[in-house]
Amino acid sequence: MEHQRRWQGWVLVGPALLVTLALFAAPMVMVVLTSLYRRSGGLTDRTLSFDNYIRLATDSTIHQALWNSIEVVALTVIFSTLIAYPFAYIVAYKVPQKWQALVLLLTVVPFWTSYVVRSYSWLLVLAKNGVINQTLVSWGIIAEPFTMANTRFATVLAFVHFFVMVSTLTIYASLRQIPRNLGLAARDLGASPLSVFLRITLPLSIPGVVVGAFLTFVLAIGDYITPQIVGGGNELVLPQLLMLQVSRMGDFPLAAAMALVLLIIVAAVYAVSAKNLTLERKR
Amino acid sequence: MRKTQLTVSLAALSTSAFLLASCAGGSGGSATSSGGASSDAPQELNALVWCDHTDPELLAPFEEANNVTVNVRDYEGTGVALGILEQSQPGDWDVFVVDSVDVPRVAEAGILAPLSKDDFDFDQFFSEVQLPEIHELDGTLYAVPEKFGYNTVAFNGANVDAEKMRDLSFLWDPELAGKIAIYDYYIPVMEFVGLELGIEPQNITVDDLPAIEARLVELKAQSAQVGDVVSTQTALATGEVEVIVGGGEFSTSVLNAENPDLDWILPNQGGIRWQQAIGVLADSEKQELATKFVQYIVSPEGQAALATSSCYWGMPANKNATLTDEQKDILRWDEQSDFIANSYPYYIPDADLDAAMLDVWTRVVVG
Amino acid sequence: MKLVRSGLSWVYVLLIFGFILMPVVSLVVFSFQATNLPVPPFTGPSLRWYEALFADSRMIEALRNSIVVGVVSGFFSTALGFLAAYGLARYRPRGARAIRAIVMTPLGVSYLVIGFGLSVTANELALGRSLVLVTLGHIIINLPLAFAIVLSQMRDEDENLEKAARDLGAGEWTVITRVAIPVLLPGIMAAFLLSFTLSWDEFIIAFFLADFDVTLPIEIWSQLRTGLDAKTNAAGTLVFAISLVALTLAYVLNRAVSQRSRRL
Repeated sequence: MEHQRRWQGWVLVGPALLVTLALFAAPMVMVVLTSLYRRSGGLTDRTLSFDNYIRLATDSTIHQALWNSIEVVALTVIFSTLIAYPFAYIVAYKVPQKWQALVLLLTVVPFWTSYVVRSYSWLLVLAKNGVINQTLVSWGIIAEPFTMANTRFATVLAFVHFFVMVSTLTIYASLRQIPRNLGLAARDLGASPLSVFLRITLPLSIPGVVVGAFLTFVLAIGDYITPQIVGGGNELVLPQLLMLQVSRMGDFPLAAAMALVLLIIVAAVYAVSAKNLTLERKR
Repeated sequence: MRKTQLTVSLAALSTSAFLLASCAGGSGGSATSSGGASSDAPQELNALVWCDHTDPELLAPFEEANNVTVNVRDYEGTGVALGILEQSQPGDWDVFVVDSVDVPRVAEAGILAPLSKDDFDFDQFFSEVQLPEIHELDGTLYAVPEKFGYNTVAFNGANVDAEKMRDLSFLWDPELAGKIAIYDYYIPVMEFVGLELGIEPQNITVDDLPAIEARLVELKAQSAQVGDVVSTQTALATGEVEVIVGGGEFSTSVLNAENPDLDWILPNQGGIRWQQAIGVLADSEKQELATKFVQYIVSPEGQAALATSSCYWGMPANKNATLTDEQKDILRWDEQSDFIANSYPYYIPDADLDAAMLDVWTRVVVG
Repeated sequence: MKLVRSGLSWVYVLLIFGFILMPVVSLVVFSFQATNLPVPPFTGPSLRWYEALFADSRMIEALRNSIVVGVVSGFFSTALGFLAAYGLARYRPRGARAIRAIVMTPLGVSYLVIGFGLSVTANELALGRSLVLVTLGHIIINLPLAFAIVLSQMRDEDENLEKAARDLGAGEWTVITRVAIPVLLPGIMAAFLLSFTLSWDEFIIAFFLADFDVTLPIEIWSQLRTGLDAKTNAAGTLVFAISLVALTLAYVLNRAVSQRSRRL
């Protein structure tokens, strides 16, 4: 009976596994394989070689793009977390319970606009003739419009805009799971509000912070659109370099090698944060 | 036993439904076209083009007259286009719009189909753009010139002195720091920078590249952004930058209606002249229809629509293009002979120099 | 002191909302621009760009394609995810942890890499690009999410309901369709809704895999690359409106369904 049940379980799970195998595992194997090919004379040369990896290790343009990626994403993670945490805290603890879901919903709904158009909107909002500059100039706060669009600042800002929402949700979920009586008990025992925060709330909300940061990292480091639209082509990040290989150079093998680099970076970050990557309450 | 059977059939059902859907979807391409009986279904023509050919107003007259849907894919540079062709199957593409200077190598590679000279009236074309030496191979025509213009400097006349722009070296002046956009097409822009160094495009060699690269780095330091046709247009229109290096009428004419201050000029050192040609692909299975499309594009009406199309404007190759006087003014129709005299056509380097130039460009741009 | 802190909190909340809404408000406002460029000064209000949008057959077709791809990929992601979650939670096959890990892995891979991988694979198999490939790409990115959502909703108590039904003689199919699914319906609908949303606005995978029949994000991107005007603002606002309607519908449906299942 037990044996039959387990077998039935496999049958139910089977389709999902097959689909994952066909649409994910197989393509990933293909990417690895392609990274071992070479592009020569305008065609793909299928003899296996590590040329692309040697190029990755020695080409300073690729190193620069990789470094740009890491810096931009690190800035994004830091600022998103710093800005989201107080907001999540306020929603979890200061906003009356019955309004909390609504406030979160209002935070999420603006992101139901098209990602591409929203990025473009940021470009125009940050432009020298854009809303921000025109307002600042007309209020006399600055004399001349200053450059915000087409810079790393614009890329990080546009990223932070989206990921503040993501981190708010994860940090909120974490904060809500902290039993209220823990804080109350500590207060009864004479702890100050700051102490309660530093020694109870903050540590117990770390999982939410880590999950948010991880999601931010994974999504931002692979993102092509935001840097492409608002970055102004002033510095390229790895996804842009990858797309350049694909569209301009037609160098799929090198692009595949870059894709694997992205994969490895994310896997490494996952390995480091795996322990904390759960929103389930720890018992 | 019954339980097992049902569980298995449930799982099998979902998997097969999935497979069925993919098979059905495979023929779904035709399902998305505005259907009707198959005898009425419009034919399709696939064109690989510069973005100025994507304007529905350009394509609609031909589509309606011939019951055809013209599918277009645009690209940002010949290298990209060749990459797309390489990844496609024979018969995927019918029409190819390509820079005139690339026609020889593309024709030699057997990508283009031979055309009959009798199908076209070359007397209608400006003599300077006919260039049979690049559009023909051994006397056989492979592509027809359709549009030309300049990669030079475009600028906002309200904020930048047009007279100062006549000297190419002014681009490196501190007065323009942070106010420049660089058009992201390596060959014309690098050749343009070469002009400032006194090197004519047809004379560029690998030995000149370090000097060009150094000058480019300085220019990049002056610039606010590097972008394609539309993002540089946007930057100029929103006041983000005041000058587009490598820009020309193709940058400003389309914006002229809203901002007549946007202008362009050929500096004393000269400018680079771009020219597009249109041809039929050798592997196309619709050679007759594709040729008809080419004829439409170089007809007076087609040329007028092409010259003023939505992505960017440019001079039509056909003198008889039915443009209004106002449109001709914007394109500086009457000054063209001076411009042509003072400009150099793109010079396409051989494969090694091409790769070297692209390397330099990528190095400078990635920053 | 508390009042000050309370005041500061409100100021912070307002600042955050201001930040979040800024590009969205700009987007919507300038969709009513009377002149061409969606930049200040505002010269509207005018509906010309909405007229242009609805007259643009390419946009409308792209919109339709996006909906179809979203619904189909959402359906399959949810169905496969539900079956896998149900099989895992109720049948506990050996290697459950491995199964879970395998199904969830695509979550950790950038869409860029998934799209690139699928396009390279399709090329090797000489499969032409198409909306079918886009749908497949969207299924694989949404399957882990649907699976995780449904799995998180499966409670041990509900298993008793199913056991009771079986004891009363119900076959497996009946147990699933008349007990398990109704109970899990809120979770299933949440999974479908999320899958649809993520597919609907997804750009990079669609970009790699679509041919001439494109989805809305691709069409918007193409139009942005070939000319600057406020029509794409109108498109973005339309996307927003449709999403709001879909969300409200889902909320209403969800409440109706949970109320019904509570009566179970």
